[in-house]
Amino acid sequence: MHLDKFFNPQTVAIIGATEDPGNITSVIITNLIEMGFAGKLIPVNPHHDEVFGFKCYSSLPDIKEQIDLTVISIPAEHVPEVLRQQATCGIKNAIVLSGGFAESGHKGETLEEEVTKICREKGIRLIGPNCIGVFDNYSNFSTSFLPWTKVKRPEKGNLGILSQSGSYVISMLDMLFLEGIGVSKVVSYGNRVDVGESELIEYLTDDESTRVIGIYMESVDDGRRFIKAASNFTKSKHIVALKAGRQDSGIEAVKSHTGAIAGKYEIYKAAFKKSGIVEVNGLTEFMDACKVLSMQKPAKGNKVLVLTNGGGFGVSVSDVCSDTGLDVASTPESIREALSKRFPEYFILKNPIDITGSSGDEDYGIVMKSALVDNDSFDAAIIIPLMPPPTMTEGVVDIISQMSRESGKPVVICMVSGVYTGEIKKKFEEKGLPVFPTPERCVKAMSVLVERGRMNGS
Amino acid sequence: MVVDDTKKMEVEKILEKISASGRRVALPDEALDIVKMSGIDVPGHVLVKTPGEAVEVSKGIGFPLVMKIASSDAIHKSEAGGVVSGIRGVQEVEEGFNKIMGNLKRKMPDAQISGILLQKQIPEATHLIVGGLHDEQFGPAVMFGMGGVLVELLKDVSFRIAPVTEAEALEMIREIKAYPALSGYRGSKMVDIKQIVKTIIIISELISNISIIDEVELNPLLVYENKVMAVDARVILR
Repeated sequence: MHLDKFFNPQTVAIIGATEDPGNITSVIITNLIEMGFAGKLIPVNPHHDEVFGFKCYSSLPDIKEQIDLTVISIPAEHVPEVLRQQATCGIKNAIVLSGGFAESGHKGETLEEEVTKICREKGIRLIGPNCIGVFDNYSNFSTSFLPWTKVKRPEKGNLGILSQSGSYVISMLDMLFLEGIGVSKVVSYGNRVDVGESELIEYLTDDESTRVIGIYMESVDDGRRFIKAASNFTKSKHIVALKAGRQDSGIEAVKSHTGAIAGKYEIYKAAFKKSGIVEVNGLTEFMDACKVLSMQKPAKGNKVLVLTNGGGFGVSVSDVCSDTGLDVASTPESIREALSKRFPEYFILKNPIDITGSSGDEDYGIVMKSALVDNDSFDAAIIIPLMPPPTMTEGVVDIISQMSRESGKPVVICMVSGVYTGEIKKKFEEKGLPVFPTPERCVKAMSVLVERGRMNGS
Repeated sequence: MVVDDTKKMEVEKILEKISASGRRVALPDEALDIVKMSGIDVPGHVLVKTPGEAVEVSKGIGFPLVMKIASSDAIHKSEAGGVVSGIRGVQEVEEGFNKIMGNLKRKMPDAQISGILLQKQIPEATHLIVGGLHDEQFGPAVMFGMGGVLVELLKDVSFRIAPVTEAEALEMIREIKAYPALSGYRGSKMVDIKQIVKTIIIISELISNISIIDEVELNPLLVYENKVMAVDARVILR
């Protein structure tokens, strides 16, 4: 594929490379060494013979082998010169990390126009400028210039992140590591003079390691291409979008009421709907939606079983469900009858099902088997295991995960954050069951699965 | 395709005429003709230039009727004092004509006036709005919502990128807050949802398929138990 060399280059030229710890090329190279990048690194800098043990060349034409990609982080005014030079050397791809382009005023704008023109004329594909570039968790390649000692790398997984903002992706990486959410590819494309989100979505459609894309968007590169690419992607995978800069004022032609009401944001929302994209508000929802879609599948309907051994949480979750349009439908009579034969009278069997503080691991299994595995009255389940009672052990994790698997229905767990529960949370998530710390976040995550199910169904 | 090719050609003919006269905004009668040609019902209407002509024409239309200013400068007609409704006889027609012309002269002395539109007044019903526009990034889009003069204040509307399918049009209708009021809330009459869907699709096709149209809007679109009717339309060219 045409963008492969950005993610899995065999030979990478680092322009202006130096060991000076204050220079970002030094961090990029150190990061790549730490990740175990298997491709060849070629520093380019007339002032050095060797950088971190790699032979350093004084300019691109001196290098005899074919270069797949250049990484450019030199001052903006020298960038056009390097791009022209790489074009004459037949190097097709560049990631320009440097700032000082259109984001910084008139002079930068002129430079950016020049860069765009060189790309068009010479056929160079470019990510950036003013960006972090890429992070590929499978090829162990990254152009991040933030040291891995300060930002943790998430595990390998199926979540891809696309972002105009570099600070956003770096913060996401750190948070995703802590949350234990696995990542495939990340791209920060900054000013986006060439490669943008539409083309990246097209590319990731065929990327087997990416099943969910989380995209942070301030603007769109090409509206119609975006809708087409995203609609195609969401036929089999998922996209979560966080739209920033919503106060952007309305559409220019304001002659009719329609024109006056239609802000740019309203049209973005419409475009997301058209494309099967889940839109979220804020960073927490963004993380949670990415997490739940990367771990669970969409729900076939909105009937949700709520099961707990702690009444209050059952009620709170049900409240939020009804605010969100999820149906905490009553447990069918047949199921109640079957369960009442196995449980004491004081267990509450109408949905939410409250098996009280006296229940144990096995009781979760009994309810889930009868209400979720053997019966299709519910489309999904929110399980709220409160761990403190002595009858509850970590064995409940296996029981709940086995029943979830057997049911084939999406299940999410609501469990407050604590020291012991934190360990249990990890165990749930190792089994592929996402845990959310509050009723609000848990229900919101479930509603994302229901929304995706509805979109695919319609 | 709801709008067939012959109709589309007739619509384009009207649009060419507007464009040839150097205007971007269709006059009220032209806009109503465009939506009527496209398959949306509108009340009977005639454009007149003089009070005498108004009186003659009013007998043919029948009473009650509404009189509206026709001027490409007065897009929001009631704000310009350009609408008189509930006219019950020929004498009121003459008075109405003079009143509107007087208001316009006072409020918009420079407005170019093409005449006054006489329109059959139809029974009150729920006011809806259906509009189409072009977004510079995403292209044609449609809007549906509760109409009337408060539309910009309440913003109870939904948007989709055009062209829309029937299912999408239906979603747009169900999405607005006032949907229960359209679907029989507390004994209110269930309105003709199918006709609303059809209307949204026609507007979607106009904005998607006729490139010279920049904005198109029905406001209000009156909705009854078994039909819809566009009382006012706006068409703005690129």
